[in-house]
Amino acid sequence: MTTIEGDYLANAERIMHRAVHPSLVKRAQSWGSLVALLLVMGWIAVDLELTPETFLKGITRLGGFFASMWPPNDGGDLSRIMHALAQTFAMAFAGTAVAAIVSVPLGLLGAKTIVSLPPLHFAVRRVFDFFRGIPVLVWALILVSAFGMGPFGGVIALALADIPVLSKLYAEAFENIDPKQREGLKASGAGPIASLRYATLPQVLPVMASQGLFYLESNFRNAAVLGIVGAGGIGFELEERIKMFAFDQVVFIIVLYMICVAVLDTISGRLRSNLIN
Amino acid sequence: MARGDSIETDLQKSPLLPERPDPVAAFEAERAKVTAQRRVYNAVFFVGTLILFIWSFSVGEIFGGEIGNDPLGRMLTFLDKMTPDLEPSALMAGAETPGSISNWYYGMPLWGPALLETVQMAVFATVLGTALSIPAALLCSRNLIPYAPLRGIVRRTLEAIRTLPDVIVAMILVAAFGIGPLAGVITIVLSTVGRLGKLFSEINENADMRQLEGIRSSGGSWWDQIRYGLFPQVAPGYASYAMLKFEGNISAAAALGIVGAGGIGIELSRAITYIQFTDYLAILLMMTVLIFAIDITSEAIRHRLIGVKVATA
Repeated sequence: MTTIEGDYLANAERIMHRAVHPSLVKRAQSWGSLVALLLVMGWIAVDLELTPETFLKGITRLGGFFASMWPPNDGGDLSRIMHALAQTFAMAFAGTAVAAIVSVPLGLLGAKTIVSLPPLHFAVRRVFDFFRGIPVLVWALILVSAFGMGPFGGVIALALADIPVLSKLYAEAFENIDPKQREGLKASGAGPIASLRYATLPQVLPVMASQGLFYLESNFRNAAVLGIVGAGGIGFELEERIKMFAFDQVVFIIVLYMICVAVLDTISGRLRSNLIN
Repeated sequence: MARGDSIETDLQKSPLLPERPDPVAAFEAERAKVTAQRRVYNAVFFVGTLILFIWSFSVGEIFGGEIGNDPLGRMLTFLDKMTPDLEPSALMAGAETPGSISNWYYGMPLWGPALLETVQMAVFATVLGTALSIPAALLCSRNLIPYAPLRGIVRRTLEAIRTLPDVIVAMILVAAFGIGPLAGVITIVLSTVGRLGKLFSEINENADMRQLEGIRSSGGSWWDQIRYGLFPQVAPGYASYAMLKFEGNISAAAALGIVGAGGIGIELSRAITYIQFTDYLAILLMMTVLIFAIDITSEAIRHRLIGVKVATA
């Protein structure tokens, strides 16, 4: 028994020697990269002063926050919280709407099949890529300082953060149109408007609407950031209460907000699956 | 008229057979019904959307409101204020000359380290978060852990982490850990584990189980199966998702500074507090170029990892 197994193993090792015994160079490489990674991590930890003491101190304070979270309550200001939630949704909706509208012409510009000028198409795509990198919080901070406190800056911030991504997605939607339907209409004598109405739009609109809804969901979830920089809404209420260490109210608001997010996600998910099928 | 047709009509008129509705008329009636239904549905949908539009635009103060009636004009003025007055002749001159690039970027001794701090935060948090995601993913993969309640607990925990917006987490952590990069790093680690834990477990569940079974049948332990059967299969997928998350983490690290979680965001919010308009653009450019450069590099690495041949666009 043992000899058979031994023979078998010896045979396997002879055939697959490199797999069982990696070469010294290869082993040095993998150990070396691990050590290098740990060194980098250590350097960052020292440089950023990420010490266990500060971590433990913070954890202790965080434990205190958790202890003060119970029982969650609205602090007697439920109507104000509901109003802030409604405002947050309004900002998310308006921002997504603005982004969706602006993205249509930009998407046309970025579509390879529509703008048959490779350099222009390339440039437009790169500009989208570049602006895609700016986080919505940064837009909001700048726009609120431009327009003053209030939801307008927040709406534009959401729109500006979405436009590069939506434009790219819309451009792809235009590129993925099946040309046969347009050709069919053309062959039966339809003009350009009829072919837009009956061949292009029916293919593009559901895709665009469903992507718009997807961004509405994500904007509603992210709209909390807007309040933090002064654009109003639920983020402002949250920040105020975090600064006062009123964590029972913070938890109340977060739970309420997450329920609203889940409701919106469900409705919009239904709509989206209706649109796509 | 062909002979067959007359027979057909005769048969239809025959009182012995039940009345057959005209198929064309039936189709038209059905079509009219469906179209009418669709019209009502579309009208309701349209009116509903229109109401949402008007309501959200009025709450969002898109028209009028406190920002005055000329939002576009204000935006242009702001853009103009943000743009530094660069002198073409003095571009490369020293920091003392107004109109030179180094005069515009006078804050570089502060901004440079802050930008580096952003990268450090993102790297540290991504590595740590990825390392923590691997055991989390193992614990909630259906094909690796036969014990359902444990998987459920891990899954629900990851879901809970994912639902919380990063900024809210960061604000609470800044209150606990104080202003500085630690709060930001912990926020990003949490969001990384929440996302990657789920994605990794999906990769695990799609792994080929025959390799693990082979190791088990030759007497390998559970860990041997994972180490020699699973990891070689899933490593490229893990690495690719981790790089993708790294891209997101860089922009998160840049933004979270605004709530005090370290990095370049702190400098941006400082510039805005002191209304240094040209500084906004300077810092914003640094941020965007960094994010853009990392996106491009990471995309190239990811495509190599998963073996995609990319056609140059």
